[in-house]
Amino acid sequence: MNRKLGLIMTVLMGLVLTACASKPEPVVEAVKAPVVTETPQVDNNAFDSGYSVSDLTSQFGISGDPLNYKVLYFKYNSSAIDERSRIIAVRHAQHLSGQSGTRVNLEGHADERGTRDFNLALGERRAQTVAQLMSTAGANSTIETISYGEERPVDAAHTEASWQANRRVEIKY
Amino acid sequence: MSNLQFFRRLRVAASLLLLSLASLQAHAQAELNISGAQVRGIPIAIVPFKVLDGSELEHQIHDVVSFDLAASGKFEPIAAQDYLSNPSRNEDVQWKDWRFIDAEVLVIGEVWTLGPDNYEVQFQMYDIAREQRIGNGKRISGLSMKDLRTAAHVISDNVYQEFTGGAGAYQSRMAYVTRSEIEYQRYRYRLMVSDWDGYGAKEVYSSWNPLLSPDWSPDSQQLAFVGFSAKGPIVQTIDLRTLETQTIAEFKGVNSAPAWSPDGSKIAYSASRNGSPDIYVYDVLTRQHTRISTHYGIDTEPSWSPRGDSFLFTSSRTGKPQVYSYSINDETVSRMTFEGDESANASYNFNGNSIVMVHEGGQIAVMIEETSRITMLTNAKFDESPSFSPNGDMVLYKSEQQYEPAFMVASSDGRVRTRLSLVSGDVREPAWSPLRK
Repeated sequence: MNRKLGLIMTVLMGLVLTACASKPEPVVEAVKAPVVTETPQVDNNAFDSGYSVSDLTSQFGISGDPLNYKVLYFKYNSSAIDERSRIIAVRHAQHLSGQSGTRVNLEGHADERGTRDFNLALGERRAQTVAQLMSTAGANSTIETISYGEERPVDAAHTEASWQANRRVEIKY
Repeated sequence: MSNLQFFRRLRVAASLLLLSLASLQAHAQAELNISGAQVRGIPIAIVPFKVLDGSELEHQIHDVVSFDLAASGKFEPIAAQDYLSNPSRNEDVQWKDWRFIDAEVLVIGEVWTLGPDNYEVQFQMYDIAREQRIGNGKRISGLSMKDLRTAAHVISDNVYQEFTGGAGAYQSRMAYVTRSEIEYQRYRYRLMVSDWDGYGAKEVYSSWNPLLSPDWSPDSQQLAFVGFSAKGPIVQTIDLRTLETQTIAEFKGVNSAPAWSPDGSKIAYSASRNGSPDIYVYDVLTRQHTRISTHYGIDTEPSWSPRGDSFLFTSSRTGKPQVYSYSINDETVSRMTFEGDESANASYNFNGNSIVMVHEGGQIAVMIEETSRITMLTNAKFDESPSFSPNGDMVLYKSEQQYEPAFMVASSDGRVRTRLSLVSGDVREPAWSPLRK
């Protein structure tokens, strides 16, 4: 009983120490080892994404099933799909592979920079790029694209953060 | 004094000298910027018009004329409180009163009430420098109270024509779009038409979906614009006499950026129906659509040259948007803009020697076509939708003032910028009309 308490104390001490000092304490190393053995085998292809659940979270901010995410973001003046968007779009495509009756609407949007007509075209191009990827990835549904350009921002402020939020394709079905 | 002390003092003195030189230079430069910009406007005195029965007018004619002429940058109105006399008739004009305040042009006039809501406006112009009365004065009759502003614009056109030799643009109009939130996040978009200065705005079309890109037909009787169907942006026209709308292009994908050709026989627009946004030309008579550009980049925002033998357009074919020109006869594309990262939404002035555009995503710039020399009209970040006045001496654009959308008019040399404060709210997409025919 006492020995167990002592061990817990040591672990706690160790945690406190690591929290205070940046140097890892040898005590913690000792404790970590058994924890690792207790974790189940890591699934490196969670949700067919090619990543583990923790990598999805740490690298792409996707917690849990990518199917729960329906907005893909883009760089300024670009319709290139980044890895986060690819994971989400492909996951939706797989989910839709058996649903030929479902109508999918991809809404393309742009930020306020650049001219309105150019942004209509840019939003369209973003939606088309996603549509193409989803078809290639096995979506059997009817995929429609529509562009709203910069006309329907989610955030009207003139900041980098709001521009990033507005450069998007929304997957709707 | 030790050597060290001497050098220290010398250094202080030298740096002081440099400082004063620097400030002197900055001052001289600032002065150069003001006086070096070719000319200042013609100093003009516009005497408040005498209203003969003394009744209150809704619109002060001299205010409207003064605003009109100042916006062009070609005139510099002298404030009325500086006038030594306020003549309304020829016999009361004293040359010395106007020479004394350095006026070069004088405008006087009277408003006569002829009956209920029936007015006549008389006006006279003077060349003070030559001590000359211009003609025998003019009269504009058959006016109701609400026509008095139009009469003022007629006077502005007369003064402009007399002293600059060019046609005035003050009887032209503008089209624009407003957005208002009817209930939370539910917007009503309205296509509006008003006088050039924003007065007398009338709704001509409205929608729950975004409206953009109004473009005037050359006879100024119709507008082409972009609306939305359930499937996306479509190109429509509206006849301003009947308010009847017509759908021009509603193909799969984006249909946008309509531009009427100078003879009114065609409408160029951008559409993505073959995958990539390209320029198409719609023939008004045959209703045929012809694809013009085929590049995989984004091609949009066509705008015809005044002769109709070419059009400018925006393309991302080299990565970032730049302005190109397509020649109808040669079927060739040439790049027009090379300065900066981005240029877009370009259009010609009436004689085709100048191009106005959006530079770097939010500055209005004017480029002389022959030399490709670019002058920035604004140095903001969010200026957009520029269009020349029909006589080319002003540029109308959408800007932001204190975080509110605002319509601005800049003289084409960038010297004068005027806010059209009669237009307010969530306004966008101003488009200057041609002269009425």
